[in-house]
Amino acid sequence: MIVKVRFFARFRELLGTDIPAEPENGATLLSLVRALAGKKKEGYDAIFDEHGNFHEFVIVMRNGKRVEHGDAGTVKVADGDEIAVFPPVAGG
Amino acid sequence: MIRVQTEDVDIGALITAAKKPGTGAVVVFDGVVRDDDITEMELEAYGDVAVAEMEKIAHEATVQFRLLHVDIIHRIGRLSVGENILIIVVSAGHRPEAYAGSRYIIEEIKKSVPIWKKELTRDGGRWVAGEHGHGAGPR
Repeated sequence: MIVKVRFFARFRELLGTDIPAEPENGATLLSLVRALAGKKKEGYDAIFDEHGNFHEFVIVMRNGKRVEHGDAGTVKVADGDEIAVFPPVAGG
Repeated sequence: MIRVQTEDVDIGALITAAKKPGTGAVVVFDGVVRDDDITEMELEAYGDVAVAEMEKIAHEATVQFRLLHVDIIHRIGRLSVGENILIIVVSAGHRPEAYAGSRYIIEEIKKSVPIWKKELTRDGGRWVAGEHGHGAGPR
């Protein structure tokens, strides 16, 4: 299974973007992002709190649709998924 | 026309194109890079999702305010002070709908379209905080 993880703005600066990942079957959104972000402490701390939960302000999307934090630990990733993780938007 | 792009646009041409039959008012919003002691501004977007979200906002505004035409062009990349960031052109039969529709679109863009701005300064740079911190983002 191959999925793509895209970080944006400050998260991109800390962790890179368009990262191909090969999660194990049964991996959830939360476990996937934790594993990738965990490669760099500053990036991990920008996205997760001390309990390993997403900071309240972090936005997570799967294939262009928002996923609530409460569901990220149960929503399983599938082959070809595009996962996006970003801070609050600031366009306009 | 709903776009995220690096190039600037010809606002005059957009105004001309917005004058559909029945138009009594055209309102243009032009957001520009302000001189907040910065050298430049860098803008980044989650492109496909940003365009889809702006299309949704344009549709909502068209229905709610009976708009006759909507253009939204949000620029990305590196922009200098005074350059256009966001151009919204709307037309309607009367000015109340045109003004209200334009205002609705810009406020919704700030809430939910995945675009970010970094102010570049002589000392480095700083990301602009969103106005809708907690829970912001596409619905």
